Amino acid sequence: MILDYILRRLGLLFFMVLLLSIFTFSLSYLFPGDPLSNLSGIPDTNFTQNAQLEEKYLFNSNYFMQYIAFVGRILQGDWGMSFASGSSVFAHVVDLIPATLELSIYALFISVLVGVPVGILASAYNKQWPDKFISSTAMIGYSMPIFWLALLLIMVFSLKLGWFPMSGRVSLLYEIPASTGFILLDILLADFPYNGLAMLDALHHLTLPTIVLAMYPTTVLVRFTRESMLKVMDQNFIKTARAKGLTRGQLIIHHALRNALLPVIKQIGLQFSTLITLAMITEVIFSWPGIGRWLIDSIYQRDYPAIQGGLMAVSLFIIIATIMAELTYTLLDPLSRNQAHGKV
Amino acid sequence: MAKFNLFSEDSNKSPLARLWRKFKNNHPALVGLWVFIAFSLLAATAPFLAPYGVNQQHSDALLLPPSWNEMGDVRFILGTDDLGRDVLSRLMNGATYTFGLSVVAALITTVIGVLVGTFAGISKGIRSSFLNHLLDVTLSIPSLLLAIIIIAILGPGLMNTVWAIILALLPQFIHSIRNLIVDELGKDYVTAYRLDGASKWHILSRGIFPNVYEYIVVIFTMALSTAILDIAALGFLKLGAQPPTTEWGAILAENLGLIYLAPWTVALPGVLLFLAVLSTNLVGDGLRKVLQARKAD
Repeated sequence: MILDYILRRLGLLFFMVLLLSIFTFSLSYLFPGDPLSNLSGIPDTNFTQNAQLEEKYLFNSNYFMQYIAFVGRILQGDWGMSFASGSSVFAHVVDLIPATLELSIYALFISVLVGVPVGILASAYNKQWPDKFISSTAMIGYSMPIFWLALLLIMVFSLKLGWFPMSGRVSLLYEIPASTGFILLDILLADFPYNGLAMLDALHHLTLPTIVLAMYPTTVLVRFTRESMLKVMDQNFIKTARAKGLTRGQLIIHHALRNALLPVIKQIGLQFSTLITLAMITEVIFSWPGIGRWLIDSIYQRDYPAIQGGLMAVSLFIIIATIMAELTYTLLDPLSRNQAHGKV
Repeated sequence: MAKFNLFSEDSNKSPLARLWRKFKNNHPALVGLWVFIAFSLLAATAPFLAPYGVNQQHSDALLLPPSWNEMGDVRFILGTDDLGRDVLSRLMNGATYTFGLSVVAALITTVIGVLVGTFAGISKGIRSSFLNHLLDVTLSIPSLLLAIIIIAILGPGLMNTVWAIILALLPQFIHSIRNLIVDELGKDYVTAYRLDGASKWHILSRGIFPNVYEYIVVIFTMALSTAILDIAALGFLKLGAQPPTTEWGAILAENLGLIYLAPWTVALPGVLLFLAVLSTNLVGDGLRKVLQARKAD
């Protein structure tokens, strides 16, 4: 039963990755310019180079063979060269993705840590002042354009008060060797005398981007948790429990929470894709050296191989995260498995 | 679940009248509706209302603060930017681009989304399965990222942004409409109607649409708030509207360098953007709550 479900999801994962790869492959034809240089990332080729490339990319055979060759190269890690830098796109992606993931993971962590308890609190005081306050604050946060929020925070905390720096990951004073790409881990691993200070500095740099990025998912989680809790609290078994004389605290902790938090887990997983997109804007504003800023720079520079590679990496992460979230949800909630047939 | 009515008073008002009656009592949503209407009017009439031209420069009045400031000038109520252009006029015209184009994009999305969503809802078997899987793939990619992909293909520009946003909003929209239709198709009244010999078209037009169009409006407001945020975000990233177009996100990006010198040129477009999204969300939320409440009684 459960194995069947996992297989079904893995099949879906395969199907999605297949479609994604076909789409990425067709992008080199959809983009303006010569498809061959869009694929290889070598802009001006002379005749011999051209012949070599055509042979390597199977350009004289049909689209299907070209696609097979494309997939083979993707798996080998040969994603072509960037027009802008002339170095391998794959190396860029591997370099840049940890920074984005780091930011997104911290933001997700904070939004879960804040959003879920606050949502529960709002539902516990339904229609009283804490609920009204939380709901309207969540509504405001939900409607706030993220780049404007970032600019406001920069105006107040960086320019007026000078508490937090407004760009970068760590002060240039500290030279951190990149081993994992996650700045906090790197600082822990690097062995030099000012470790504590560097850590403090990195945390300072992290504060504003993390708050900005966490704002939207936090408000989504608050609203979702609140609604999920209210839905459960309206059900008959809660009424029975209340009739037995349980206090509100007992009611919420022992009966409502378990049932209400299951859909929230799924929602948390779904937030990851939103986070990565919002991270692109945050990275541009805070000059965070992640994949989002690089991707947007590539669009400015019409760097088609880089756009292709960046899109593929980001979408792959999002697809895998979504499927993982659904799997976890199903493992935790047996009821949802029955609905797998013929439903989305 | 059945609820007991203590005073059994029959309410024979039409569903729409009951909807409006409940909506009126939700004050934040009502305020949101007024603001929404004000934005729509502004978007339609901004060029006639604005005191100055969008690109009219006043070389004697560079970087004037808003008029309530001591340094301000009452001729320019919200101040001027670094080229001496009136901020108020630019922001008013921005409503046409950011808000107006978002409404247009959301409307086009609604038309296409309802058509395709209905088709997906009534189709069965392999066609439905294929559509759903295709939707699953695109659904897992957020609308802004999808829009950025499409921009990467089409190239930056305001009209390209609108197309990109329409295409990016569609998967979510089709998905919601499809779920609505499938839910409705499973209900008893549809079965009864079908047993009476109604054709598919009859079931859809007479049976289902009168029951779901209010929900379509709710989905429309959600699409609209996403469209506003996305159009502005793309303008801010310099992928959408290009200066000197007065799209709010583009104005923000253009004035970014003035953030220390003239913070009002950055703060004000953001305020409008925020109000536009907030009012849309308030109306959508209010409508959703009212629909739930009407169902319950």
